[in-house]
Amino acid sequence: MKNVLFGASALAMITSGAFADVTIGNPMAMTGPIPDLNAPIAAAVDLAAKSVNEQGGMFKSGEMLNIIRADSACDPTAAVDAVTKLINVSNVAAIVGPVCSGATIAQAESVSIPAGVVTLSVSASSPAISTMEDGTDLVFRAAASDAYQGVALAELAIEKGYMDMAVSYANDDYNAAIAAVFVDAYTAAGGTVTANEAHEPSKASYRSEVATLGSTSDNLALFAYYGSGGITVMRNALETAAFSNFIGADGMLSDEVIEQIGAENMGGVTFTTSASDPTTEAYAAWSAVAEAGGVPAADPFVPNGYDAAFMMALAIEKAGTADRGAIAAALREISSAPGEIILPGEWAKAKEILAAGGDINYEGGAGNQDFDENGDVAGLFSKSEVVDGAWVAELIK
Amino acid sequence: MWDAFGFEFVNFYLIPGLVLGCIYALGAIGITLTFGILRFANFAHGEMMMMGGYLTWTIMAIVTALFGLTLHPLVAMVPATAVVIFLFLLTDKYFYKPFRKEDTIKVVMASFGMMLIIRSAVQAIWGPNQLKFVSGIAKPNEILRDVSGSIDLMLLVPNKHIWIFLGTIVIVIALSYLLNKTRIGKAMRAVSDSPDLAHVTGIDVDQVIRATWIVGGICAMAAGVFLAMDIQLLETTMGFRMLLPMFAAAILGGIGKPYGAVFGGLVIGLAEELSAYPWIGDTPLLSPGYKTGVAFAIMVIMLIVRPQGLFKGRSF
Repeated sequence: MKNVLFGASALAMITSGAFADVTIGNPMAMTGPIPDLNAPIAAAVDLAAKSVNEQGGMFKSGEMLNIIRADSACDPTAAVDAVTKLINVSNVAAIVGPVCSGATIAQAESVSIPAGVVTLSVSASSPAISTMEDGTDLVFRAAASDAYQGVALAELAIEKGYMDMAVSYANDDYNAAIAAVFVDAYTAAGGTVTANEAHEPSKASYRSEVATLGSTSDNLALFAYYGSGGITVMRNALETAAFSNFIGADGMLSDEVIEQIGAENMGGVTFTTSASDPTTEAYAAWSAVAEAGGVPAADPFVPNGYDAAFMMALAIEKAGTADRGAIAAALREISSAPGEIILPGEWAKAKEILAAGGDINYEGGAGNQDFDENGDVAGLFSKSEVVDGAWVAELIK
Repeated sequence: MWDAFGFEFVNFYLIPGLVLGCIYALGAIGITLTFGILRFANFAHGEMMMMGGYLTWTIMAIVTALFGLTLHPLVAMVPATAVVIFLFLLTDKYFYKPFRKEDTIKVVMASFGMMLIIRSAVQAIWGPNQLKFVSGIAKPNEILRDVSGSIDLMLLVPNKHIWIFLGTIVIVIALSYLLNKTRIGKAMRAVSDSPDLAHVTGIDVDQVIRATWIVGGICAMAAGVFLAMDIQLLETTMGFRMLLPMFAAAILGGIGKPYGAVFGGLVIGLAEELSAYPWIGDTPLLSPGYKTGVAFAIMVIMLIVRPQGLFKGRSF
C-alpha cells in the first residue's frame, strides 16, 4: 500500500512537472543538405534556453523552458511531419525554426497556421514568406528577407565588374525566389543575364548544365544549397573551365565548400549572407554570451537563432501564459519600441520589468528585430571570400 | 576557346552521360538480379551503394591514419566489398528470408524498412554532414588531351572517369563470364527463368540466392564507389537519389536480364544528359531541371508499350 501511494505521488509529481514547464518546438535541418550550417544555429537556440533557465526561468514560479528539437531536414515533407508531431503530440506553445524557406512555408501552410500556433523562423529568407498569410498574424522570422539580399548581391556583381552573368538556381522555394530577385535587380542595374536555368538538386553530375550556361558567360550566379548539388555544380564548372567567377548566397556559405573544392580553386568566389553590425551594443552583448556559451557568434544565422528563441521566451513571459493564442501579439510588443532596451542574455532584467508591468524592447545580436506588418525584420548583409583557406566576411555598406 | 569538332557535345554531354550510365548500369544489375531471382523490388539497394561508399571512405581514412598512405578508392573498395556482401547476406537471412513464402509486398516493405534502417545507421555512425571523398577538382587527363587534341578531337576526360569506364567494363565482362560459363551462373539464369523448374532439376535454390546477393553486392559496391569517385563526396541520400533511374534502367532492359540492365543504364544515363543539349537553337532542348523526369518518363512509357523490356524480361 505504501509503495502504491509512493508511486502515485511520484507519478503526480512527474505529470504536474511536465504540465508546468514551458515547451517550445524547434524543428531544425539536422539532416539534409545543410547540416554543417545548421549545427551552430541549433546550439544558439539551446544557448538562449540556457540563458532563460539560469536566470530564473519562466513566470513567477521559475518554470523550466524546454526546447523540443525535431528534424525538418530542410525539406517540406519532413518539416510538415516534424511540426505536426511537435504541435499535436508534444503540445508545444510555439515553433522556433525551421531553417529553410521551403520547410517553413510548408509547415506554416499545412500545420502551424491552421493550428493557430506562432512560427518564428530562425533563418528562412524567401520573399514569399512576407505575403503568405491571409488575415492571420502567425508567421514571423528573425532573418531579413531575400528581397533585400538579392539586391545586395546584384550591386555586388556590378561592383565587381561582372557585366554579364549566367544564373543557375536549384528548383526550391528559397533558391528560386532569391534568383528571381537577383535577376530583376541585376538587370535593372545594367547587367545582362545571358542565361537563366533551374537545375534539379542532388544530381550526380551537372556537366551538361554548366556547359550550356558556360558558353554564354564567364560569371555564374549560383543559387543552391551546398549539400544538395551546390558543391557539385561548382566542381563541374571548374573542371570544365566553364566559369571562373561565382557569386551566391547563404545556402553556399559553408566551410564544407572550401574543404571539398579546395581553397586554391576558389579565387573568384564571393557569397553573401545575413550579417550583423559588429559595432552595436547589442552585438557586443551577444558576442559575450556566445563566447561564454561556446557558440561561434559570427557564423551565418547564429545570432538570429539566439534572438528567435530568446524573443519567443520573452513573448511567452509577457503573455504570462504558455497559451498559444496570446503569443503573437506579445511577440510584437516585446520586440519593438516603446520600452526598456533588453540585450541578448539579459533575461533577469527583462523578467523583472515585465513582472512590474513595464514595457521592453529587445535588440538582438542580429539586428534590432522590430517586426513589420508582415512579421519580417530588416537586416544587413556581408560578403565572404576565401582568404588563406577560410571564409573572410566583410559587411556590405 | 572551344573550337575542336564536336568538342562541347562529346566532352560535356556524351562523356558525362556515359559515366552516369555506367553507374546506373552497375546499380541496375543488382536490382534486376534480385527482382528476377528473388522476385521483389529491393528498395534498400541504393542504401547499400551508399554504405559501400562510406565503408570505402573509412578504410581509406584508417590506412591514411595508420600508415600515412593515400589508398586509391578502387583498392580500398576490395575489403569494403566483403563487408557489404556480409551485410547483404545478413539482411537476407534476418529480414527477407522469413517473408520469402509470403506475398511479395511483404518483402518489398521489409526492404523499404531496411532502407530507412541503413540510412539512419549511417547518419548515426558517420554523422549527417557530407564527407570529403577526394578533395579539389579533377583536371582532365593530359596524355589523352594532347593525343586527341593533335587529331583535332580534343577529349577532356578526368582520370576518375577513365577508372569508372575501365572498372565497369571489367565488371561487365566478369559478370558475363560468370553467367554464361560457370555452373552457378547458369543456375542463376535458370532460377530467374523458372524457379520451380530449376528446383525440380536439382538446383540448390538457397545457394543461387546467396550467389545473387554476392553478385548484386559487388555491383552495388562498385556503383556506390564510382558514384562517390565521380561526385567526390559522400552524403547519406546519394544512393536513394539513384534508385529511381536504376529501376528505370532495370525495367527498360527487362526484369531479370543483366545485359538489359547494362544497356538500360547506359540509355537512361545518356538520355538524362543529352536531353539538356541544345539540339534546336541555343537553349537546352529540355530544361535541366527536368532531368530526373526523363528517366521516369522512359520508365512509364516502357511499362505501357513494352512491359517485358527491350531484352524480353519478365512482365508483371
